[in-house]
Amino acid sequence: MIKRFFIALSLIILAGTFAKVVYNFVPNTELTNVAKHYVQHGTQELGATNLVTAVVVTYRGLDTLGEVVVLFISAAGVGLLLRRRKNDLVTKEEKRTEPSFLVQSVAEILVPLIFMLGAYIFLNGHLTPGGGFQGGAVIASGTMLLFLAAPYKHLNHGVLTALESISGFAYVLIGILGVTLLGAGHFIDNRFLPLGELGTLLSAGAIPIIYIIIGLKVGTELSVVLEDMREE
Amino acid sequence: MVAYFQNPLNIYITAMAAAFLLGLVHKLGKMASLTLFYGALTMMAAVTLGSALSLSQPLIIQTAGFIAPLSINLQFGYYEAFFTICVNIAALLGGLYLYDYLKDSVLARALFLMLVVGINGMIMTRDLFNLFIFIEITSIATYGLIGLDRNIKALSAGFKYILAGGMISAFFLLGTALTYYKTGTLNIDQIIAMKDVLQDPIGLTAITLLLTALLIELKPFPANGWGLDVYQGSNAGIAAMISVGVSTGALFALYKLLPLFPAQHMGIISGIGLATFFFSNLMGLKQTDAKRMLGYSSIGQMGLVLLALSFFHTAPLTMFLGIVGGLFLNHFLAKAALFWIAGIVKKDHIKEWGILSQSKMLTVVFIIAVFALIGLPPFPGFWAKWQFIMVLGSGNHTFIIAAILIGSLFEAVYLLRWFNYVLAGSEEKLACEKSKRVPVLIFGLITAFISALLIKSSLGPQSSIYFFPIAFAVILMFVGNFIPTKLRALFAISGISYLSYYVQMNVSGLNLIFAQMFLWGGMILSIATFYKTKAKPATYGLLFLMLASLGGLVLSRTTLEFFFCWEIMTLASYLLVISGKNAKKAALTYITFSLGSAAFLMAGFALSNSLTLMGLAALPSSQATIVFTLLALGFLIKMGAFGVHIWVPGAYAEAEDDISAFIAAILSKAGVFGLFVIAIYMQSTISNSTLAYSLGWLGILTATFGALMAAFQEDIKKLLAYSSMGQMGYVIAAVALMSHLGWVTALYLSINHILYKSLLFLSVAGVIYRVNTREMYKMGGLIKKMPISFISAMMAIIAMSGVPPLTGFGGKWLMYTALIEKGWHLQAALAFFASGIAFLYMYRLVHSIFLGQAKPEHKDVKEAPLWLIIPQVIFMGLMMVGSTLPRLWVEKLSVAVGEFMPSTLTWSGQTATTSLGYWNGFMVMNIVGVIFVIVLIFLLLTFQKVQKVKQFNIVFAGERPFTPETTHVAYNMYAPVQKALGGWVKPRATAFWDGVTEWSHTLSHMFAGIYTGNGQTYLFFILLFFLMLNFLIGAN
Amino acid sequence: MGLYLNQYPLASIVLITGFMMILIGLWGMLTKTNIIKIIISITVVETGVNVILVSIGYIQGRTAPILDTAVLQIDALSRVVDPIPSALVLTSIVIGLGTTALMLSYVIKMYRVRQSLNIEDFGVLKW
Repeated sequence: MIKRFFIALSLIILAGTFAKVVYNFVPNTELTNVAKHYVQHGTQELGATNLVTAVVVTYRGLDTLGEVVVLFISAAGVGLLLRRRKNDLVTKEEKRTEPSFLVQSVAEILVPLIFMLGAYIFLNGHLTPGGGFQGGAVIASGTMLLFLAAPYKHLNHGVLTALESISGFAYVLIGILGVTLLGAGHFIDNRFLPLGELGTLLSAGAIPIIYIIIGLKVGTELSVVLEDMREE
Repeated sequence: MVAYFQNPLNIYITAMAAAFLLGLVHKLGKMASLTLFYGALTMMAAVTLGSALSLSQPLIIQTAGFIAPLSINLQFGYYEAFFTICVNIAALLGGLYLYDYLKDSVLARALFLMLVVGINGMIMTRDLFNLFIFIEITSIATYGLIGLDRNIKALSAGFKYILAGGMISAFFLLGTALTYYKTGTLNIDQIIAMKDVLQDPIGLTAITLLLTALLIELKPFPANGWGLDVYQGSNAGIAAMISVGVSTGALFALYKLLPLFPAQHMGIISGIGLATFFFSNLMGLKQTDAKRMLGYSSIGQMGLVLLALSFFHTAPLTMFLGIVGGLFLNHFLAKAALFWIAGIVKKDHIKEWGILSQSKMLTVVFIIAVFALIGLPPFPGFWAKWQFIMVLGSGNHTFIIAAILIGSLFEAVYLLRWFNYVLAGSEEKLACEKSKRVPVLIFGLITAFISALLIKSSLGPQSSIYFFPIAFAVILMFVGNFIPTKLRALFAISGISYLSYYVQMNVSGLNLIFAQMFLWGGMILSIATFYKTKAKPATYGLLFLMLASLGGLVLSRTTLEFFFCWEIMTLASYLLVISGKNAKKAALTYITFSLGSAAFLMAGFALSNSLTLMGLAALPSSQATIVFTLLALGFLIKMGAFGVHIWVPGAYAEAEDDISAFIAAILSKAGVFGLFVIAIYMQSTISNSTLAYSLGWLGILTATFGALMAAFQEDIKKLLAYSSMGQMGYVIAAVALMSHLGWVTALYLSINHILYKSLLFLSVAGVIYRVNTREMYKMGGLIKKMPISFISAMMAIIAMSGVPPLTGFGGKWLMYTALIEKGWHLQAALAFFASGIAFLYMYRLVHSIFLGQAKPEHKDVKEAPLWLIIPQVIFMGLMMVGSTLPRLWVEKLSVAVGEFMPSTLTWSGQTATTSLGYWNGFMVMNIVGVIFVIVLIFLLLTFQKVQKVKQFNIVFAGERPFTPETTHVAYNMYAPVQKALGGWVKPRATAFWDGVTEWSHTLSHMFAGIYTGNGQTYLFFILLFFLMLNFLIGAN
Repeated sequence: MGLYLNQYPLASIVLITGFMMILIGLWGMLTKTNIIKIIISITVVETGVNVILVSIGYIQGRTAPILDTAVLQIDALSRVVDPIPSALVLTSIVIGLGTTALMLSYVIKMYRVRQSLNIEDFGVLKW
């Protein structure tokens, strides 16, 4: 009880600090200088109409590469923790409930559609809201549905790993291409490909390619995570 | 291709490409992916080195084809280069060390690579949000790697880490958001340029949040329970990476953001660092789990680095690297090595660490690492700590200095206690894969190499004087296994002779006298070491090192040189003491007090603000009083003055018998020399002050109690030890007289002490060698078996007691004269009383060992080995010459002292005259010689009348005593005296120091109690830490 | 200075909501003993921080920074919100996802070892 009291007390003090922040908070009425540049020149410079994408993929591309790394190592961590190892005792597989007919048949129709939606989202990341991460997450939700529909089916780990591995490597490679084609200081620059006509699918230089790669990577990675968690 | 190695960006590219590819390459086979992994680590280290070497000015790396702040930029300047080199080399070797751990899991290898990427990113990035991402990469990779060990310890530790990490990242992200809100940018340089904008409630909250997050990453007291659990629970190789890698990233990130922190609040950071250092080490005292202990030490060391950072984050490069870099490097090298060794030993409880001693190489690295952490020279921490403390001294930060020195002492105690367990040995076999041994060895070598460089660079043009003896000693220690003992001894002696020649060429006056005491004395004593057929491999190297450091002490002009030599002497003598058979406990006490002494010296030098010893003379008197007190305390501890003497009996008694002679006869004079140095330079302040007066009394008390305690010892070496303590008391008093005659007396007594204590210890060494015991009552009647040893001991005792005709008489005469001349009558009386008491133990010594009848089991005992006899004969010869012709040497002493104050001693022939009287050594010798011959003739004539009885043919009350020896008078000889005076020698000092130990352990336990093991408690502490920081910053 | 609730209702309300979420999440983190609940609390805190990020980037009356036919290049400066916080939130969500997945994996393993989800059962290391 005393413990709770102290916790409550310190949270109240913390709330006081927060209140001070809220009290002094004047919502922005104008863009910051950096944002101004992005808004004014972003589309011409990078050829993407979705400025968030321009920021995510190119201006702050290093963040995004880091983000991919974070996802990659989280998946690796999950695998490390949950995957069976050689000397683990093999426990009998748990009995899983057979899914209903409804789930099975709906999954058959929906999974391809979900995958397609995912692909659409990451392909159009530079034009509309969305992008590689969102698309990848949608694809993983398709995998989830697949698991529900077919509880005994295993994913082909080999293919997934290969896909994940290649897409990750490709991302780094594209980053290097910026340096080799455009010179030092151009790591992860999307402009080594022509920017194309603003607003079309094949525009914004390498952004669509990067988002395809990210989409694939995120999709496969999250699927692997789901698989690992299911198999445990 | 060359360009590849010069662009730091390739560190990331290489690591990421390799990590992503690992999964695919693994399909080609394990070999392929292992090659890729280690290839990548090697390339990363190579790129870092290449980039650092090609650095002509700080390198800014832009990305995405835009200039920051539009895009994210990285910076690779000198600071970054230093830390990334450390991290990436540690990563390469750490990866190698973890071979066993990583070889079965390709995922773990990918995680490891990304961990390194994360740390590099934390160091190089100049973007606040990017920093957040790299922190997350680092943390998540660590969480994953900890989870590779799927046992309960690793899991619960890892989970607590995640909880703490979650809170940290929430704080950091919130701070980033608010910073962006205030400044409109995420570029760190721009934010720093705009830091005035952040001086409002929102801005300050943002700064506090950011700093809390980064500080918590450094595991500050008390919000660090999770960190300790992680160190203890995770695999040693991973713990090493956390300790030296992740912490480095966090430290550098903090360094980057420190300019944001309001300068007037920098004291808060200092306080956090200091508290962390102090309390971690205090809590470390109670630890018995090796990795958790290393955790405490790690956290403590990072606290110290943080403290230094708060002082020097704006300092110029050389100073920054010298202090912050030095402290960091020290921790980095030592801690990685120790964690790795912990992973090889695989024992949790430090009591089981004896197993380590089976590998000599690992033990050597272990001790190097431990010494480095303690801050002994020549390891990097020593130089950094010295510089740091000196700066603190010039700023008069006495409190900080005290806390650092006490904290260091705690750390030394628990680390060296651990070392004792290592030395205890074990039957169990130590299994050690090559992949684990190699990194440890390399780190040991790097430490040695950097230390060598630091000697060269820190001691300036004079450095080779100090460098070569150390190098020689090290070589001598390492060839110890390969060349025979006698040859090593020969090398050591020739080394000492050269050194003594060199030193004597370069000093004069008083220093020359001390140089001769140290080195000639040492040289003659070295002959004795030949008597052992087999010495430990390192003995001669250490012996040489100890004598060389004493020579260096005499040569030193700067305070740093002096302190350096002092610490080397401590180190060498400690290792010599600990190589005694049962010396571990005694050695721990000895080194603890020695380090305490060093701490006083360091504090004294720091507060003097003087770079040279000469500069001590220029201090204003108030400052001089403090400095003198501190320095004198340091020297007095080393001399075993009353109150701080409790290390004396153990160290003297438990060291090997010939080593004891060195310690008693030679090493104890180092304190005398020190006392002289400060007395000379601060003469004007100290003369006729209460300080000198108190020092005089302390000397007299030391003499009295030393003599009393010696009288009640059964152990012959302990008797000699207490006797030494008592004799040093006279020297202390004589120095404190601050008069010409007093100082001549001090020198005289010191030289005399060398002569007779060498004789006694060597004679006793021979006896112990023959009869295999140190208990005096078990000896007896050895006069016929070991006549030369007897004569040697007899002469020594005559010289010590001060009866004519030997050297002691002159000493006592000088002393009483000097005391009375000064008007210290009471002290003179007490000194006289002490001399009386001294007769008790001297008589006991001669009587129990040599007189009476021999024990039956000793009927075949022979004279001591020749090698022990030779130096005794030399010393006896010297003593005879010195007694007969005192002017030959006493005049030199008088002249040397005359440099500092007018001489009051005049000579004509062999007659010395003072205001109180005169003394003619030559005449005394002749008179006594005549009397001696007469008595001898009388004795020889009456000798036949002596009737012998069987000694232990005792039956009383119909019973035969079980141990007949104990009925002999020699057993507990002074029981009646003890009844009368024993109350005076109750072990009060021992009780006091035991109390100190007890209390610090209790405190240690109490504070450690806050680490309940519950992840939520740890979280709560993190929250409180933020609130505290927020309160402190908001308060003003 | 002062509370700008009246002038800019949305941003302030979102900001306050964010802080409330952080406080609620912290309460859960510090008082719930069930590990799953603690993890949920952590995600609540993370979401709270993200909400605050969004509120900081928001400008009253403006739209998303996508410059298609609806928002033209010319008046974009006065029509769109700050794209940077949106980008940051995106990244932060992904990171949150990663840590949550890892935490849950830990919990699965921890449950296997101890058959318990009570955080007090995992205090094996202490002092």
